[in-house]
Amino acid sequence: MGAPLLEARGITRSYGSFEALAPVDLTFARGERVALTGPNGAGKTTRLTILAGVQAPSGGTLEWTGESASKVGWVPQRPALYPRLTTRENLRLFAGLEGSDDPPATADELIRRADLGDFADRRAGALSTGTMQRLNLAIALAGAPSLLLLDEPTGTLSPDQRVRLWQWLADLVRSDDMALLFSTQSVEEAARHADRVIVLARGRLVHDGPANALDEASFMALVGDDA
Amino acid sequence: MKAIRAGRLLFGKDLRVLGRSRGLVAVLIGYPIVIAILLAIALSGGDRRPAIAFVNLDAGARTVQVGEERLSVDDYAARLEDDVDLVRLTPAQADEALADGRVSAVLTGPEGFITDLQSGLKPPVLQLATNPRSPIEAQAIERNLESAVFRLNQALATAYVTQVLNLVDLIQKGGTVGIFGRSGTLLGLEESERNLAQVQKALIADGKPALAKKVAGLRDYISGVGGNLELAKPAAQAIASPIRLEVREGPPGREPLSALGIAGALVVGIGLVGVLLAAALLSAEREDHVLSRLGRGLAGAGTIIWQKALLAAIACTIVGYVLLGIVALSTSITIGRWLLWLPALLLAGLASGAFGLLVGALARETRTALLAGLMLALPLAVIALIPGNDIAYWVSAFAGFGPAARIFQGLLVDPEVTSSTYVGMGILAVVALVYGVAARVALGRRMHA
Repeated sequence: MGAPLLEARGITRSYGSFEALAPVDLTFARGERVALTGPNGAGKTTRLTILAGVQAPSGGTLEWTGESASKVGWVPQRPALYPRLTTRENLRLFAGLEGSDDPPATADELIRRADLGDFADRRAGALSTGTMQRLNLAIALAGAPSLLLLDEPTGTLSPDQRVRLWQWLADLVRSDDMALLFSTQSVEEAARHADRVIVLARGRLVHDGPANALDEASFMALVGDDA
Repeated sequence: MKAIRAGRLLFGKDLRVLGRSRGLVAVLIGYPIVIAILLAIALSGGDRRPAIAFVNLDAGARTVQVGEERLSVDDYAARLEDDVDLVRLTPAQADEALADGRVSAVLTGPEGFITDLQSGLKPPVLQLATNPRSPIEAQAIERNLESAVFRLNQALATAYVTQVLNLVDLIQKGGTVGIFGRSGTLLGLEESERNLAQVQKALIADGKPALAKKVAGLRDYISGVGGNLELAKPAAQAIASPIRLEVREGPPGREPLSALGIAGALVVGIGLVGVLLAAALLSAEREDHVLSRLGRGLAGAGTIIWQKALLAAIACTIVGYVLLGIVALSTSITIGRWLLWLPALLLAGLASGAFGLLVGALARETRTALLAGLMLALPLAVIALIPGNDIAYWVSAFAGFGPAARIFQGLLVDPEVTSSTYVGMGILAVVALVYGVAARVALGRRMHA
């Protein structure tokens, strides 16, 4: 595991008197791949959106290590892009919004890294599901993040598209020295593609440990009737 | 600086997206323009003459002598038919016809109308009842009948003056007179003066100079009266021939549009473009799922709102100038104050755009936003066109349409730009600000939900 990147202390989220997320302490390090799993309604997406800055927590703090470490790349479950713009135009726009000094050059670099060259001038709305997800991920990389958050990134992909995506994500973590946190419904996917697995149930942390220590049976034991 | 950069980038993105959504643009901009043009034509009125019921309650069949003619209430009404189509009905029939919408108004000649006309003690009154459900038509009928009654009064005055001049002539020159039911022979001032001259001569010849002197005073008096009557003639003739307005037809092939029609077209056109465009642009951001991405510090709710409001305002201004250009090129109406139209159109677009943004921020999807925008904007825009109604003005002011309609009419017809134009612009700015802030709050909640 690499250098410490983020410490999330006592992050909670409440809606009125309903506590959706119980206070949990989580740490993330550079080069680490972490899976967030649990049954439906466990609070996976809510916890991710708080870490992504999409919504504010009701309590707790986020402590980043390093001056420019707090850059987060957010990959929502459904592709968040403009379907009437081309792949290149989407990337230029978001590179510009991320504050890139040279959005066209940043877009070209992202097209190369995401292997989107054949689709660069095709409208995003006309891309296949797998290619659109690659663009969705490339947009998240436009701000050169140190932590990449993905909400169920392979939910709509075919098996071959999943393989390609996981391969690319593993390369990214290595090459960019970033941390990766993804949510998934699949224990098998979490165990295979993460170094560490966090299991949530009813907004509470029930497991945080090495990926190889978790299998279907132990998962069922952890979440009980919620699964 | 970051917000301005983000706003500029999103503005460019919206323009590009609109450029690639020709069907959507055709609906968002083409449809309001077509509706606006149709509305302008409808509000211009054309040559349609509304049917008006006429009820005669002056049942005595009395008449009044006017010049050579003897007029009854029906004759009086018949003279109005040059300007309006009258249908003679009983009071009950007229009320029913008005309620059913078969006539647009009821004109009543009340009891005692001819007596009042004849006596001159109080002015005779015709009563007009219009349909409150058709206020625009009611106002047009009122104006039509006012001018018709004015012309009729003028004709009657001319007949009366001619009659008076004939009487003056009779008093001066003598002759047969028939007035107010009596007839006889009048000697006349000139003949009287000649007779007195003969009497004066005979008295002097008879050696009665004192009596002759008295007759001389009488002759001076008659001469003075005759002279004064002569002086009154030109004044009476001036009344008999009042100033007349000669209306000439415009160049052939050009349809005249009223200020109300043009203002209505602009309000509906700009209102629909602003509301629908802004609502569609904002709800599309939600439908494309990008709000969560933008809300992470890339572009705040305020930035998204102002850039889309500005885009809607610019689109409305272009549509407004296009409509004004169509009017200027295809009708005889002169559109002036081109520069002053700029802030008026921009602020009207900004207000309707901000209203549309609130709709877009509250709606869950683009189709819902468009439908809700249309359902809210269209009636409010039409209500704004009801003339002279303060309630309608303030109801439609909720979306800025009422103030916009008054500003547009003022710019079209007022001889000078008044302070009310600038007050109206201020109201539009406030409306835009209120809806902009409300839309920002609603969008902020959506982005961080």
